[in-house]
Amino acid sequence: MKLKVYRYYEGIEKPRYDTFKLEPTQGMTVLEALFQFQQKFDDSIAFHYSCRGAVCGTCSMLINKVPRLACRTQVTSLLKGKLKIPLSPYPALEETVGWNPEEEILVEPLPHLPVIRDLIVDMSKFFDFYKYVEPVFKPGDPTPEKERHMDPAAIPELELYTNCILCGACFGSCPVDGNDPEYLGPAALAKLYRFYIDPREANGIERLKIADIPLGWWDCEFYGNCRRVCPKDVPPLIAIAKAREQLNQEREKIGDK
Amino acid sequence: MLRYLEDDGEDGVASNMSSIHYHDVIIIGGGLTGLRAALQVSDSGLNGAVVSKVHPLRSHSVAAQGGMNASLGNVPDDDGNSDSWEMHAYDTVKGSDYLADQDAVEHMCREATATVYELEHMGTVWSRLENGKIAQRPFGGAGFPRTCYAADRTGHNALHTLYEQVLDRNIPVYEEFFVTSLVKDSGRCIGCTAIEIMTGKIHGFISKVVLMATGGFGRIFNRSTNALINTGDGQALALDLGVPLKDMEFVQFHPTTLYRTNILMSEGARGEGGILINSRGERFMKRYAPNSMDLAPRDVVARSIEQEIRDGRGYDGGYIHLDLTHLGADRIKERLPGIRQIAMDFAGVDPINDPVPVQPGQHYSMGGIDVDINGCTILPGLYAAGECACISIHGANRLGGNSLLETVVYGRLVADKIINDIKEISEPDSLPMKSAVKAVESKIEEILGRREGASIFKVKENMAEIMFQKFGIFRDGKIMEEGLKEIKRMQKNLSHLTPNNKNLELNQTLIQLLELEGMLKIAEVVAYGAIRREESRGSHTRIDYPDRDDDNYLKHTLAVLKDGNIDLSNKSVTLGMFEPKERVY
Repeated sequence: MKLKVYRYYEGIEKPRYDTFKLEPTQGMTVLEALFQFQQKFDDSIAFHYSCRGAVCGTCSMLINKVPRLACRTQVTSLLKGKLKIPLSPYPALEETVGWNPEEEILVEPLPHLPVIRDLIVDMSKFFDFYKYVEPVFKPGDPTPEKERHMDPAAIPELELYTNCILCGACFGSCPVDGNDPEYLGPAALAKLYRFYIDPREANGIERLKIADIPLGWWDCEFYGNCRRVCPKDVPPLIAIAKAREQLNQEREKIGDK
Repeated sequence: MLRYLEDDGEDGVASNMSSIHYHDVIIIGGGLTGLRAALQVSDSGLNGAVVSKVHPLRSHSVAAQGGMNASLGNVPDDDGNSDSWEMHAYDTVKGSDYLADQDAVEHMCREATATVYELEHMGTVWSRLENGKIAQRPFGGAGFPRTCYAADRTGHNALHTLYEQVLDRNIPVYEEFFVTSLVKDSGRCIGCTAIEIMTGKIHGFISKVVLMATGGFGRIFNRSTNALINTGDGQALALDLGVPLKDMEFVQFHPTTLYRTNILMSEGARGEGGILINSRGERFMKRYAPNSMDLAPRDVVARSIEQEIRDGRGYDGGYIHLDLTHLGADRIKERLPGIRQIAMDFAGVDPINDPVPVQPGQHYSMGGIDVDINGCTILPGLYAAGECACISIHGANRLGGNSLLETVVYGRLVADKIINDIKEISEPDSLPMKSAVKAVESKIEEILGRREGASIFKVKENMAEIMFQKFGIFRDGKIMEEGLKEIKRMQKNLSHLTPNNKNLELNQTLIQLLELEGMLKIAEVVAYGAIRREESRGSHTRIDYPDRDDDNYLKHTLAVLKDGNIDLSNKSVTLGMFEPKERVY
C-alpha cells in the first residue's frame, strides 16, 4: 500500500509526486497516513488538520481525484474501490498523473484554488464568495426579551444548510468553478439560501437578489458534483433551483404589473 | 481579511523579518470564547483583533455536540415543576464535588438564559419544541431537562453564528498565527509575539490588554476526544510569564468516546435514552449509580466503565457498548444525526441497528489559568476565559452542557471587564516588544540550526501514552512518581529534538515542536498536582486515597514556575449556598 503525494512549493519549476510505502493500521484514515508520511518519510510535508472527526472542515483535499475530508476517508476502503463517487468531469480530473488505484492512494490539493505548499491551498477566494453573500442573520423585528419562536417543522430544511462545514469540497469539485473561478460556487449559494429560508428573517426575496447575477444563481449547470462530494449531505442544487424559481416568479409578477 | 499595521523596524530595532501591530485588545484564540469577546470589544468601539493558530471555524468549539445548559424552563420536569438558576447552580456545585467557587457558579447560572437567548438572537438555529420554544434535554448530573441543543451539532451551530457576526463587523483575524510568547513590561502584559505559520515571519502584537481564549490541553493524553490542535498553548504561555495555573490535576475523562479513535459520542445519546451495556449484557450502572443510572455525572460513569473493563466485563480491546437501538431510527436521525454519522464513518457501526463500541477518553481540562471572578489573572493586562481559564466553575468535575455555556458567558463578561479596565491603561512602550520579537527569532534560528538530534514525534507519542497510563482515570502515588520522572527526562532532552525540515515557511514540524515544549510543561504541572492531592475528588481518583478529604483538600491547587521549577501552593474555595455533602447519584 502506497501513498502518492503531490508536492509543491514556491520556487520549484513544477510540482512533483512523492511515493511512500504505508504501514497500514486498522481503520487508518488518509489523514493518519499523512502523519505517517510526515513522521517517517519527510517532515516538510504541509497539510491542514484539526478535529480529525469530520466536523471542522479543514482537511479537504483531492483524494483519488475526488475532493474529500482526509480525516473521514479510510485507506483500505479506497483501495477496495468502495468509495468511488461518479463525478462529472472537471479540469482537475483531466490533469492526469499515472497512479495505480489498486495499491496507491493519490493525494493532491483541493482544485480550483491556488496552491501555497503541498496540500495547502489558499482558501481566500472561497471565503470571499462566502462573505459576498452577506452570511449574517438579519431579523425584521426588534430583539425580543426571550427567544423568537420557530415552528419545529421549519428546522429540518434549515439544518440541511446549516450543516455546511465550509470545507470547500463542493467548490473543488464544481466544473463551473473550474472553468470560471469567479462563480460564487455551491457553498456560498447554499449559505445564502440558508438565511433566505430562515423564518425569523425579514428580507425575503431581497436576500436572494444578492446572488441574482450571472456568476451567482444563474451560472450553475447542475452537474451535481457538489452534493455527491459533500461530507455533510448539503444539497446546493436544491437551493439553487428553488432560488431561481423564486426569482423567476418575482420577475413575472413585476412583468404583469 | 488581515489588516496589518506594519512598522518594519523604523528605528532599526526590529529586524526586516518582523512586523509590529497595534491593537487595544489582542484576543488569543478564535473559538466560542474568543469570538464572543471579539464582538463585545468591537461593539464598544475598541480596536480588537483575534490571533488564532487555525482559521476560527476549525477551532475545537466546533466539535461540541450535546448542548448548553440554561434554566429556561421550557420543558417542565415529571412533576410539572419549573427550573431555576439556583437548581442549575446546585447541580453544578454538587457535580464539581464542591470544589467550584460558588460565587462564580452563581454568576454563570444567572447569566445562562440570557446567553442562550443572545445566540438565538444572532441567528443560531436551536432545536425546537412543538410550541416553538428552544428544546431542552436531560443531561448527566442535572436534576432537570436543562440542556438546550441544536441536534447534536450545538458547538458547530454556535461557532458559525459567532463567526458570521465577526465577519459582519470586519473584525481583524490573524489566522494561522501561532503565539510564541506573552510579553511583559513594567509589571504588566503588553502583548504577544507570534509566528505567521505560512511565512515563518515573527510578528509582535502590542496591546493594552491580552485575553487568553486558547482552549484545553487534551492532547497531552493519547486517548482524547479533543482536536489535534488542543495542546494547551495558552496555559503554557501563562506559566512562562509567571502566572499561576489552578487545579490542573482535574482532567475530565468522558465515559463514551468511540473505541480506538476516541471521537466523542455525546452525552446527549444517553440524554435521549441510550444505555450502557457490558459484555455480559448487564446495565452495570445500577451497581454504581442506582438512581441516576447512565445519566450520573461523567466522572462517575467513566470510572464505572473503566472498572467494568478492568474486572473483565468489557469486550476485547477494552470497550463496552452504548446501545441506542431501542430509540428507533426516527429519533436517532432527528436528535443524534451527527454521532450516527461519526459511528458509521469511524467505527463502521450504524447505531440504528447495532450498539456502538465506546471507552472513556480524556475530554476536558477543568483546571487552567488562575483567574478571579472577572477573568483577571494576577498580572495586570492579562485576562483569560473559557476552557484555558479556571474561574472555577467546574471544580473537580464538569457537568455536560456547562462548558459551551462558560465559553459564551465569559467571552462576553470578561470582555466587559476589559472594556471597563482599559480606560485606565496607558499605551504600552514598543521597545520591549521589539526585543521580544528578536528573542523569538533567535530561538527559531537556533532550532532550525540544529544539525543532529532526535525526532520530536516519538517524544510526543511517549508523553501522551505516559499521561494516559499513569495520570488517567485511576491514579496511584507510586505510579505517578514514575510518570513524573519520565516527563522530566523528556523535558531535559527537548533541546536535542531536531526537525529535519529547515524551512521557515509553513514548517509544521517546527510548530509541533513549539507545542510540545508547552505540553511537557503542562504535563509536569498536572503530574505535580495529582501527586500532591492525596484524596479522591471528582475526576481525580486515587487508588491509594479513595476518599474525599475536605479537612485537608477542600482547596484549589496553584502552580507557578519559579526559577525553572514548579512551585505548588493553595487557594481557598469560595463556598456559599451549598454546604459540602457526600455526593450520591
